Amino acid sequence: MHKLLIKNELLGCIQCGRCSAGCPVSLRTALSPRKLIYKNLRESKKLPKSQDIWSCTTCRTCQQRCPKGVSVMDYIIGLRSYQVERGKIEPTMRDALESILKHGNPWGRPREKRTQWIDDETDVRILAEGEETDVLLYVGCTPAYDPEIQKSTRALAKILNDADVDFAIIGNDESCCGNEVKRMGELGLFEMLVEENTALFKKYKFNTMITISPHCYNTFKNEYALDFEILHYTQFLKKLLDEGKLQISASIEKKVVFHDPCFLGKQNDEYDAPRELLKYLLTDEDNLLEFGRNRERSLCCEGGGGRMWLEVESESPRNAEIRIDDAKSIGAEVVATSCPFCQLTLNDAVKTTKSEDKIRVMDICSLIAENKFEETEMEE
Amino acid sequence: MNSVVCIKRVPETAEATLKIAPDGKKLEEENLVFSLNDADNYALEQALLLQEEFDGDVTVISVGPPETDEIIRMALAKGATNAIRIHHDDISKLDANAVASLLAEQIKDLDYDVVFTGAFASDDAFSLVGTMLAEKLEITHITMAIEMKQDDEDEAEISRELEGGLIAKYRIKFPAVITVQTGMNEPRYASILGIKRASQKEVDVVDDPTIPENKVQLEKISYPPEGKKAEILSGTPEETSSRLAEILKQKGII
Repeated sequence: MHKLLIKNELLGCIQCGRCSAGCPVSLRTALSPRKLIYKNLRESKKLPKSQDIWSCTTCRTCQQRCPKGVSVMDYIIGLRSYQVERGKIEPTMRDALESILKHGNPWGRPREKRTQWIDDETDVRILAEGEETDVLLYVGCTPAYDPEIQKSTRALAKILNDADVDFAIIGNDESCCGNEVKRMGELGLFEMLVEENTALFKKYKFNTMITISPHCYNTFKNEYALDFEILHYTQFLKKLLDEGKLQISASIEKKVVFHDPCFLGKQNDEYDAPRELLKYLLTDEDNLLEFGRNRERSLCCEGGGGRMWLEVESESPRNAEIRIDDAKSIGAEVVATSCPFCQLTLNDAVKTTKSEDKIRVMDICSLIAENKFEETEMEE
Repeated sequence: MNSVVCIKRVPETAEATLKIAPDGKKLEEENLVFSLNDADNYALEQALLLQEEFDGDVTVISVGPPETDEIIRMALAKGATNAIRIHHDDISKLDANAVASLLAEQIKDLDYDVVFTGAFASDDAFSLVGTMLAEKLEITHITMAIEMKQDDEDEAEISRELEGGLIAKYRIKFPAVITVQTGMNEPRYASILGIKRASQKEVDVVDDPTIPENKVQLEKISYPPEGKKAEILSGTPEETSSRLAEILKQKGII
């Protein structure tokens, strides 16, 4: 029996099929966790060489719903790690991993351009070694480099400055957190990033780290051994609101639905902070709509588990497209989210479903910034 | 069958901000990231594919300083069996003839069927080492290969891409030097654990090679002159893309 099967409790599997039934990609790809486990238990001497495992978004629904405590997602990541060790992975994922090793980000961009999101109007302090700040804003790769997400990053910096938060960033020395690296099965690179990032954080003095992406939040909180407070930015902003340090006046009259990111919601049980921020923004609380599949049942946007660098072939619509159609059908005009990957996949889906004139996808920090600093734009 | 793969450590220059060193003959290396030359990566993969098919050794060989061991370890992690590094402090000072001589001096005594090189190095883009090496080894060669089909260990069918999209097919008998273009295969990934394990493998270092005299001397590197007709659009992506569309329409291109 292979150690991967024992470690992930595969022998406990009763083939109930809740993993496959809950899997957000099982309807549009050939991945069936139940079938994978069945085959592997029947042929337990060797691990399956199935390529279907690369469709997995590591949303963790399978593992969460398993009544027997089988670590289904961890098993899939384990299978990936064996394929990574053999070196035969999709070129787009290979390039992302090599880029992380060389440049500290998966987007193939040079390290020296990591702070280019900071424009003339954005006031951000970059920490020098040994310097102190109350809050360290860990920017993350996608918020640092993606032109669309950079807007959210700038919005958050503006909100923090407005609330007089003593915050700073690491700058060009900041590197990838490794959350997606681990989920792509590159466990050696992940360990290396954990070591290097842990040593890097020790060079500065701060009390709290906030992240923009729930993916970074997840790995720093659950997979590193860090001795400071780690919050997702929605949790931090909610705290500022409660302490009276952040003022938000209700100004949004549109109908807004919140899309729960898997790595904030079902993986870290944070469903309320983003919703409470949204309630402050809406002139009428009833305009905060809910998807049929919300909270721990939220439909994964397919941006996790390295899938940002891997397109799977399918004739069925993408989950993000289903999500946008669902949002339209309940009458939402804005899909709010709090994850760069969700924002990118949903934004693409708005374009591919030709819904630009009906619906917008907005990160919560951009919604707050619009409300605070450019109140007119939303009304246009 | 045994292959030798010549690899080179080059700076990644595509997106980096390049600064020319004060002597005007090389780039400032401080902020540059170095990696395995792209075409050499495809050459290495081709050798590894042959090894999977026909067994045998894959020897990687490179000229350079100790930092070159980074790319050598990566090649070993991918499956290369042996490694040779011919020591030289600053390869930017060597011309193609000198590099080919240094490589030939080591390769001539190896038991090999094919020598692979990348079709060109992304830093100096000479495309010369492969052909010069074949000459010095007194074996045949074929350049710019984009496809290789092989049924037995003694010969292969090689495709080259010509101007106008023509594909020319050749049969060549080994031993031979083949210079490989990017796109010939899909290079595999070297995992970090694989690279760590490979650091235990031995790299045969040639410490004090006889350096042949350069026949080509680099005079000066400079930035290209700014084009007078270039217009750099500024603004948000939305602004610049609509401005670009306007210009293309005006010129009747779209």
